[in-house]
Amino acid sequence: MRYYELIYIINSNVERKKVDEIMKDIGERLEKAGSKLINHTVWGKKKLAYPIRGNTYGTYILAHYNGGDNEKLSEFDSWLKLSGLAIRHMIVKLDKEPEVVESLSQEESEEDTSKDKLEEKKEEKPNDEKVEKGESEDKTKKEKTDEKDKEAE
Amino acid sequence: MAFQTRRKYCFFKENNISTVDYKDVKLLKRFTNDNGKIMPRRVTGTSAKMHRKVVGAIKRARTIGLMPFVDNGSE
Repeated sequence: MRYYELIYIINSNVERKKVDEIMKDIGERLEKAGSKLINHTVWGKKKLAYPIRGNTYGTYILAHYNGGDNEKLSEFDSWLKLSGLAIRHMIVKLDKEPEVVESLSQEESEEDTSKDKLEEKKEEKPNDEKVEKGESEDKTKKEKTDEKDKEAE
Repeated sequence: MAFQTRRKYCFFKENNISTVDYKDVKLLKRFTNDNGKIMPRRVTGTSAKMHRKVVGAIKRARTIGLMPFVDNGSE
């Protein structure tokens, strides 16, 4: 049995309801092709590394399924490209059977936010130190310039 | 004067990693420079086997917009 991973990007401005509709549509299409869906979850909104079709942000959606009818699957591939539902998609063959994931997006987002907070805190501290250092350096510079002025006199 | 060469070692062998996932951008960024180019094996010290996997994963990440083809900081 072959296992595949489908990843596709949806315009991030699309409403949640419509995202669900698109996911349902794609899921149904896959099942029509004779394959069984294992996972189908939203990965989350991410910033694209480069603009795709004028979008700088996109909602990533991840799906795992096992292989069905090959001809129908290639048909599904071209249908997804022509339908315009996804900004971009990619289908990858997996080496192993994928694990069942319940909610990928929530875990990820929570982790991300907590990490971001930590990073912000870390960033704040060194900034303060830098400012203090900068002031002290300025002082020493001023003193030096004063000395030079005195020497010149 | 003898040159002190820093010993390079395969990152994956050190950390016991056997597969590379294209979704793991944090890991893949290690193997690209600031411009988003894939760094050569002689710089990263990765084993040939794992370097091939890394290259494949980076290229996949690029097509799906997770990693940049070119990053010249013009954003």
